[in-house]
Amino acid sequence: MNETELKQMVEQMVRDLAGRGELHAAPKGEVHHPDPAQTQSPGSSGGCHSDITEVDLRKQYLVESPANGPAFLDLKARTPARIGLGRAGARYKTDTMLRFRADHAAAQDSVFSLVAEDYPAKHGYFPVQTLCETKDEYLTRPDKGRRFDEANQAILKQRLPQGAKVVLAVGDGLSSAAIEANAADCIDAIRAGLKGYGIEAPEVPFVKFCRVGAGDHIGQITDCQLICLLVGERPGLVTAESMSAYITYMPRLGVPESKRTVVSNIHKGGTNAVEAGAHIAQLIRDILDKKASGVDLVRS
Amino acid sequence: MTGELLSVGLDLGTSTTQMVLSRLKLENRASPWAVPKVDITEKEVIYRSPVHFTPLLSDTRIDAAAVRALVEAEYQKAGVSRDSLQTGAVIITGETARKENARQVLEALAGLAGDFVVATAGPDLESLLAARGAGVDKLSRERHGAVLHFDVGGGTSNLALYDRGKLVDTGCLDVGGRLVKVDALTHKITYVMEKLRGLFPGVAVGETATREVLTPVCQAMTEALLEAAGLRPPGRWLKHFITHKTVDLTVKPNYFTFSGGVADCVWSPGEDDFAYGDMGVLLGRVIRRGFEEAGAALLPTEETIRATVVGAGSHATELSGSTIFYRDVDFPIKNLPVLRLDCPVERLEEELERALPMYADEGGQNPVCLALRGPENPSYQEVRALARAIRAGLSPLVEAGEVTVVAVENDMAKALGQCLYPLLPHGKLLCVDAVHAAQGSYIDLLAPACGGTVLPVVVKTLAFEKGG
Repeated sequence: MNETELKQMVEQMVRDLAGRGELHAAPKGEVHHPDPAQTQSPGSSGGCHSDITEVDLRKQYLVESPANGPAFLDLKARTPARIGLGRAGARYKTDTMLRFRADHAAAQDSVFSLVAEDYPAKHGYFPVQTLCETKDEYLTRPDKGRRFDEANQAILKQRLPQGAKVVLAVGDGLSSAAIEANAADCIDAIRAGLKGYGIEAPEVPFVKFCRVGAGDHIGQITDCQLICLLVGERPGLVTAESMSAYITYMPRLGVPESKRTVVSNIHKGGTNAVEAGAHIAQLIRDILDKKASGVDLVRS
Repeated sequence: MTGELLSVGLDLGTSTTQMVLSRLKLENRASPWAVPKVDITEKEVIYRSPVHFTPLLSDTRIDAAAVRALVEAEYQKAGVSRDSLQTGAVIITGETARKENARQVLEALAGLAGDFVVATAGPDLESLLAARGAGVDKLSRERHGAVLHFDVGGGTSNLALYDRGKLVDTGCLDVGGRLVKVDALTHKITYVMEKLRGLFPGVAVGETATREVLTPVCQAMTEALLEAAGLRPPGRWLKHFITHKTVDLTVKPNYFTFSGGVADCVWSPGEDDFAYGDMGVLLGRVIRRGFEEAGAALLPTEETIRATVVGAGSHATELSGSTIFYRDVDFPIKNLPVLRLDCPVERLEEELERALPMYADEGGQNPVCLALRGPENPSYQEVRALARAIRAGLSPLVEAGEVTVVAVENDMAKALGQCLYPLLPHGKLLCVDAVHAAQGSYIDLLAPACGGTVLPVVVKTLAFEKGG
């Protein structure tokens, strides 16, 4: 079978499937971009696709003529896994495939996009930046995401007091969406909770291109007893908005990872930001009381 | 992070009195690097008393002293002291609750049953506990269907309809094995309940009971159960035997289950019609025939005669959420009336001001537990606004030096507590979440468990269950 025959055959098949008129073969060597107006899925209306990411996957069950659909939905309510999707031949249905790709794209976008320029100012945080200059550098050079240059060190030194009991900080990490969705509410709740325990926290630095280890450098610079750093987690297909809090007692350069206490899964499908903040405030008090975080805290 | 609660269940029924001891295991089910989530992971009945006949002084009076002695003896046999009991429920059920001195008996028992034990009654709660004790919630969840449960005891039948693990409705009928009592030797009828008098030939005190005489009574009662089950159109007998209400069949039951003393007679009635000195054996037999003829799918249950007491011992206690707030609180807090308000936060203060006087008497303002749903995934500003509204609305209580108790449904109690605490002049604050308490119910809040992370809670009401 030569190339022309193959092309004709594919064209015929596509035409049959789409039930539409003639397709124009793409010029040689070029990718064929279908005209969106001609490839509307049957579910869309008024020339506008509905946003498939709006659908709650736990409530979507696509198997046709199931033995007991409501029972399957009961099971689906307990997991974000993509199950009960039905099939077209041996493959996913179009909606499922598109949703998977959309969620994957959202996860990637969240890694590659930046927290809005005016975000720190809006919440009264002061901006600093690690040694990374670009997102690409941030992703390829984790070591640079843990240190500040002299100019940024000077800002931290100037804005934060020396020897504070607690420093709260926010860093973009691997998900800008997580920070924009959760950090401010969480910081407010932590601050209020700490106040109840008689602990005041100074101004909050917002760290651009931030890795968890950046907190150690802040500790080194400010000689604080404890740092609580809110960082965006590496996004997954379930949510791109998950944030973690890394709490380190006596944060200094070279502190081992085992000395960190982490509270993960802070997002609206996990623990909500405000309640997580309240929990973190108590955790901070316990860590200060026991003078230990991470594995040491569990052992104490 | 694990813990344990020792729980007692005591069921003082129309015909029998029973006690169980249960061990409830608490465990943090969240990963170590997430916010804790403590659940009851295991419920084990570690002691079951024999089934005693309820000591009665007369047809209308319970022998309180004998009940007390019975419970003391059972504690001894089980090898527990009342101080070691942390939670549980004492319930007076069925017709016994209508006896003249039911209240005094409860009071006598509440002291004996340990500081933490709640005494409670009421047909809705009873239906729920019997069904949970029989394992009907689990059965309906596992079968992904609707199960209608009948706890057929001596004096009443408690109905509970579960759909895929969730309670839909409860009801109660005056259908029971001991509404006609018979002398086991002479077969002379010694007692006939009021509703049955004068309706059935030969069914009167002093007459001789036979299968032929009592079968029409059993048939009428079975007819009422079939009508309540939707297997027959509602008719005369359902109406006649309703105690206060039957279940509303918003979902059609796929399966039917039985517990209570008569349930044993449904499955294996035995030879002697009057083995228990009542019509229970006959009733069990007639019920089974009636349901089978109607084509109903019957399922056996985990517990039969002990369903209610196991329910009281193992299933009355729930846990609050694992991020809560309490400071300067004297535990336990018992029998706190629930004031439920689900209005927008802007109207909360005003609604509280309107509702609080209903809980005042000559002695002044009585404490309440403020129950609300609370926003889902709240912002910090929303939590703060809520805290302010609660503080303002509960002013009379706060100023009287009473403890402030707030029960929210959505996960936010710790944040709310931390916002609310600084607004109170004297502290004394308790905020819990993951608790559903309806208006008009009462709540018991027990001392924190599992390293102080959760509170065992008993809501004395027909509560909608938490999802899942």
